[in-house]
Amino acid sequence: MPPRTSCPRCGAPLETPFCCVGCGRLLRPERDPTPFEAFGLEPRYGVDAAELELRLLRFSRSLHPDFFATAGVEERALAEEGSAALNAAYEILADDFRRADWLVAALDGPSESDEKEMPREFLLEVLEWSEEIEAAREARPGAPERARLPALAAALRSRRAECMRGVAGLLAPRPERGAPVLAEVRRILNAVRYLDRALRELEVLRLEQAAAR
Amino acid sequence: MGYIELDVLNDTDAALVMGIDLGTTNSLAATWQSGRPVVVRPDGRTAKIPSVIHFPRDGQPLVGQQAREQAVVDPSHTIFSVKRLMGRGLADIAAELPAFPFPIGENERGLLEIDVHGRKYTPQELSSLILMRVHDLACRALGGTEIAKAVITVPAYFDDAQRQATRDAARLAGIDVMRIINEPTAAALAYGLDRSCEGGTVVVYDLGGGTFDVSILSIEKGVFRVLSTAGDTHLGGDDLDRSLVEIISAELGGTLAAEELADPALLQAARLAAERCKIELSAHPEAELSFVVPHKGVHYRRNVTREELEQRIAPFIERTFDACRLALSDAGLETGDVDEVVLVGGSTRIPAVRERVEEFFGRPPHMELNPDEVVALGAAVQARILAGGSRDLLLLDVTPLSLGMETMGGAVSKIIARNSTVPCQATEGFTTYVDNQTGLDFNVVQGERELAQDCRSLGRFQLTGIPPMPAGMPRVAVRFHVDADGVLTVSAREQSTGKTAGIEVRPMHGLTDEEVESMLQASIEHAREDFDASRVANLETEIGIMLRATEKSMPAAREHLDPETLADLEDATRAVRAALGGKDVHTLQKVRDDFERATLPLAALLMDGVAKAALSGKRLDEV
Repeated sequence: MPPRTSCPRCGAPLETPFCCVGCGRLLRPERDPTPFEAFGLEPRYGVDAAELELRLLRFSRSLHPDFFATAGVEERALAEEGSAALNAAYEILADDFRRADWLVAALDGPSESDEKEMPREFLLEVLEWSEEIEAAREARPGAPERARLPALAAALRSRRAECMRGVAGLLAPRPERGAPVLAEVRRILNAVRYLDRALRELEVLRLEQAAAR
Repeated sequence: MGYIELDVLNDTDAALVMGIDLGTTNSLAATWQSGRPVVVRPDGRTAKIPSVIHFPRDGQPLVGQQAREQAVVDPSHTIFSVKRLMGRGLADIAAELPAFPFPIGENERGLLEIDVHGRKYTPQELSSLILMRVHDLACRALGGTEIAKAVITVPAYFDDAQRQATRDAARLAGIDVMRIINEPTAAALAYGLDRSCEGGTVVVYDLGGGTFDVSILSIEKGVFRVLSTAGDTHLGGDDLDRSLVEIISAELGGTLAAEELADPALLQAARLAAERCKIELSAHPEAELSFVVPHKGVHYRRNVTREELEQRIAPFIERTFDACRLALSDAGLETGDVDEVVLVGGSTRIPAVRERVEEFFGRPPHMELNPDEVVALGAAVQARILAGGSRDLLLLDVTPLSLGMETMGGAVSKIIARNSTVPCQATEGFTTYVDNQTGLDFNVVQGERELAQDCRSLGRFQLTGIPPMPAGMPRVAVRFHVDADGVLTVSAREQSTGKTAGIEVRPMHGLTDEEVESMLQASIEHAREDFDASRVANLETEIGIMLRATEKSMPAAREHLDPETLADLEDATRAVRAALGGKDVHTLQKVRDDFERATLPLAALLMDGVAKAALSGKRLDEV
């Protein structure tokens, strides 16, 4: 069932299923909207970050529970639930990995448990810097093993950007449901997840280093 | 004689809401007046009310400055820094326990209890006494208007249990909490409103009496958006004081035995002396650290230099920058990306703190607003927004700690990430392990560690009412919802039947709803007694004043009053004198009212006489 497209009260076109920005009425969506539906966006990988921000603030002004603190129980519940759902949708759309991951699933592509592999050339690199990170973790703050870390972090970040550019290329134009290209996207996303984990570890080591005294 | 009442000038602009900063060391309230937030000054000067409670052997507990003055004289019954105990268990406060001169224990339910004169109080109850006092003084300062709704602030880094405890305390105090708001965010609101802050990326560095918070916000076009927050709920001015107390302990340790050093009165005197010295060192390069405990024969005096203090507090200050680095990292920013820095909390008056902050962020911090008052002001702003005052300001805050569930093997499966904008939600799928299993148990934790045991347990959640089905068939969707206060609620639905499952929470270090209810009941009963007792006192005072006024004016007025009126007056006077001394509030009220009625003719006569005398220059007895 497609979501309703106009406000039941004032008839204006709906920008988001949670409320009518025009007349301020809070709405209960008939079913849980997709993250793209929540923001009135076409379900495609390319999302304008600035536009997403603008919409978040625009919708929040009509939906946030702070503006319904003196309203009735039903309205307060709608504001609370709608805001939570909007914010959850934002978290998915604002993060390139999560956005791509969601799209692959929505297009019936393989999940992480279905397709565990990573691109072949990537595996060799993984081994190299896994060892470096391990050595750095074992070493004390200030040791030479740690000196390489900032350069390594920069290299990983640039590798990640390269991967996501690949993902963007494969997802535009939007693939058909179940298309084989989705498996390739999933493999790249597996690599990105690995990179993100490594980058988080490097960040923890960096903060540890800065705190050492 | 009858009273002529003057009409108090009412500020009709005042919205009937207030903001309360419930601090570790001091609390304050602020309200909205004439288009801006204003702190309440109960005595016309000071806004700060010490968060101290003194329980005398008999009678009402004292809260505030008077209570603080009892700290050295009666340390076992003078309670301070209750905020450090909210939502905590004994294990959490183990390191600080020796510094508290009153007995703190834990009951079987994991609730902290403070023993005072044989009665046990939870931190929630103690905080409610402070809130009641602050609220009461604020209402009185505003001419007696009853303001039932308030926004109360908490450290941004307070976890779910600590926030719940604060909500419970407010409920016990009879305050309708509109919102629990984070202190740094409140401060940002106050600065943003004040316009001394241009906006952009703003860091709020909040070092209070017991807690440290750092929040990074993006402030633009009326939207205050928290990007990240970090902190330490056990780091503040109290720790800096303790570092000075260590000087005292080390030096007195030579002459005094261990038990004498641990004497509560001595500890308190030392603590207060340390605080005074620390504060003075912010204004002078050298200050005296001195106190006396006459009944113990202790006279201590020593000079402390600013350098000495700075050396001792340096490790604590450095800890604050660990949190700053984490907040920057979480927001994906570097110090160079920060446009403004705001200082909040009394401890930021220390020159060493200000210097380090300027050094770390590479720019001088804002201090235009009083660091003690800015949080309460911001809370009043938020109260105004919630009361429907304006939609120009939008506050988007975050939850400070990750929320997760304990899985088989004791690991944590993350459900909601830290620094997620609130309100936020996430749904987890569950199923059953045995046929016809109708219930599920799970442990929800808050924190960043990998193992559940290293995180804070919010309590055991018990899910019931799953329709009986073969194992693995039910699809139970459990929705975790963190509201704008930062508090978690959990709801569950079995998806194939659509049936809502029941959720019961047994909080780890908190009160259940039933417990709060029964405490409220008990306090209402006590309140009735206490209320009557204070009414009796007020009536007695009032009657005394009326009697004296009547006695004074009777001689001159006697001949102008008719015999009936005179007789009435004499009867009423006799009745009132007879009732004085008896403590029955109803009798006293009745005789007071009768007396007032009887004196009306006298009052009228005097008024008339005064007016005529004023007009014609004649004396009263010529009229």
